[in-house]
Amino acid sequence: MADKSKLGMEFPLYSIKVEKNKIAEFVAAISQKDDTDHIKDIYRDEDTARKAGFENIPIPPTFPSSFIFWTGGGLLGTVKALGADLNRLLHSGEEYEYFAPICAGDVITRKMKVVDMYDRGKPGRRGMHIQVTVLETEMINQRGELVVRARTTFMER
Amino acid sequence: MTINFDAMNVGDAIPVYTSAPITRTQLVRYAGASGDFNPLHHDESFIRAIGMDTVIAHGMFIMGIAGEAITSWIDNKNLRKFSVHFLSMTQPVNLDDFEQTKGRATITISGKVAEKYEENGERRIRCDIMARDAQGSRKLKGFFIAALP
Repeated sequence: MADKSKLGMEFPLYSIKVEKNKIAEFVAAISQKDDTDHIKDIYRDEDTARKAGFENIPIPPTFPSSFIFWTGGGLLGTVKALGADLNRLLHSGEEYEYFAPICAGDVITRKMKVVDMYDRGKPGRRGMHIQVTVLETEMINQRGELVVRARTTFMER
Repeated sequence: MTINFDAMNVGDAIPVYTSAPITRTQLVRYAGASGDFNPLHHDESFIRAIGMDTVIAHGMFIMGIAGEAITSWIDNKNLRKFSVHFLSMTQPVNLDDFEQTKGRATITISGKVAEKYEENGERRIRCDIMARDAQGSRKLKGFFIAALP
């Protein structure tokens, strides 16, 4: 079970550059394409992206999760820092607030902290007792602007 | 595409989006793209060790499909908020038993306009969304908020 003394804990800051090819790879995955030649033009062609009003190729809405997974030791690093058990972990909710676009070439710094930890169900009863942990991550671009705020909820069975 | 605020009414349905049957190969592709290498999504020996039947899709893959559904309808840059709860696990299709298992692996995203309002000087809509497989099992529910011209 995640260690409740971790409530309020702030993770170290990590920065990652948003790569054009990584966006294309992610879009191919979520749009179930076998290669990046067949994704929407806005995610692979700079001119199309600029005509649509972006500075460069934009990210799709759920791409910010990769800023967490590709930094700070990824999933296992995060789970370890929380004292949680991967075998019991379930992702139960995700929320994004979008304040400004994120595009290829941006450098995003993720600022993550543990904002809530609570129990659901009755302690000691297997299958009934669940511990919930909520992480909030602010994504800040190279100009210091808050561009996305993510809230990730997971449960340990 | 341009979706106009005045033309939208509370209760209007958003276009239904249906995925292809999710395969294990797609789970590996999503793992590599997102960086989420939880073995729950690709390693059958891990699955046996924790007493489950088969690998399952990343919740974020299903949310990603829902994001595709939304941005096929409204412009990516108009999205202000996107929030979901995951309701059940999604098992991929078995290629040696395609017809019997494709239903559990095919995700349909539906939704409707729940609210129209003004906020931060923008005209916004909130839409409730739901993902179900082809057998009717609910996978995620949530909402998004978009600013519209």
